[in-house]
Amino acid sequence: MTDDPAEPPEQAPVAAEHALGLLSGNDLRKAQALAESNPSYREELARWRGRFATLHQDVASATPPANLWSHIEARIGTEPANDNLPALWRKLRLWKAATGAFGTIAAALALILLWEPRPSSAPPVARATSSASPMVAMLGDKQSMKVVASWDPAARQLVLAVAGNMPFDPNHSNELWVIPPGGKPRSLGTMPDRKRMHMQLANALATLLERGATIAISVEPRGGSPSGAPTGAVIASGALNPA
Amino acid sequence: MDEASILQRGVESANLSRLLASVASQDAASLKSLYERTSAKLYGIALRLIGDEAEAQDLLQEVYVTVWRKASSFDAKRASAITWLATITRNRAIDRLRARRDPGENLDAARDIADDAPTSLDLLEREDDAVRLRLCLDELEDRARRMIRAAFFDGATYPELAERENVPLPTMKSWVRRGLIRLRGCLEQ
Repeated sequence: MTDDPAEPPEQAPVAAEHALGLLSGNDLRKAQALAESNPSYREELARWRGRFATLHQDVASATPPANLWSHIEARIGTEPANDNLPALWRKLRLWKAATGAFGTIAAALALILLWEPRPSSAPPVARATSSASPMVAMLGDKQSMKVVASWDPAARQLVLAVAGNMPFDPNHSNELWVIPPGGKPRSLGTMPDRKRMHMQLANALATLLERGATIAISVEPRGGSPSGAPTGAVIASGALNPA
Repeated sequence: MDEASILQRGVESANLSRLLASVASQDAASLKSLYERTSAKLYGIALRLIGDEAEAQDLLQEVYVTVWRKASSFDAKRASAITWLATITRNRAIDRLRARRDPGENLDAARDIADDAPTSLDLLEREDDAVRLRLCLDELEDRARRMIRAAFFDGATYPELAERENVPLPTMKSWVRRGLIRLRGCLEQ
């Protein structure tokens, strides 16, 4: 082979490599730092992204299942209007970085310890309407998997952290439910991630997360239960109690 | 493309931009309308990258929730709405691919690998980009073009491409870089 692994004499096409997603590890971190500090690199990168994105025209469309919209609808009622990564989750990530540990019960429990007074980003309305204290549910009794659900009523934020391996069958979705005492299960959406989930609940759903309410995860058809009620096996469940 | 279909695409693009503007003011009906017009395309993109239907459906939910939150950051002067939406889908799909390919890594490490930077939705698109890129890609050597397409359509990184083609990493980088330098020369003409 005559391939010369040395750098070509021209300026390396880093922005193009970055835009294509070729970079990984240190190279990617360096390029990201450059994008944040160097406006002309950022613009070059944006330009390459714009160009390559036109290749999406070559991708065939596919019709998603009819019930998918209803799950999105349920979730947008439950998401903050602006992009504020909750301070709680940010702290958890910092904590994880500091200890290097995750996937253990201890890490999941740290969620509880990290609870502090609401940051200023909390919606003022939510603050005014609730003075209830945070609650926690431990889901699951298996050695292999536990889920800690932490509920902050003041901010209407529900955070789930999974310790161990949540069962995952590619032909199904794991769906999260709240069952108020004596009430019917209400869907909180499918779990896009097997390790964690964060959501801000709409008022109507938030009122269901009272003391003694059950939080459960069930296995449902892809995209979630079509009927709006749980149909499959319950992987884990537990009751909400004051933290 | 004939003039009628160019015109039609322009109208559709303007419609999507208007919908995104209403989504930014938290109008759920507009999000539904946007979903009806764009979900098949975005689901196609998610499926192409992820491969698995259930995960692509979860991803699609996540994409529209992101759109709901971030619609106000869309700038119609810099890119078309569909390009912006496709890029959100692609970024999220790649996040998952990297996390899946390296199951030993925890989530934050996976995020370090994927491009989750705040600038990752910065796009600058021009009207003739699609045509020019195609013409210029056609001028590349077959091998470089194939690798560039694999990076884009499969979300493959340099190490993954090198492994796939069974060549040393520096060789792969050299092949692709030469191709990209040629591509740049052609596009900037």
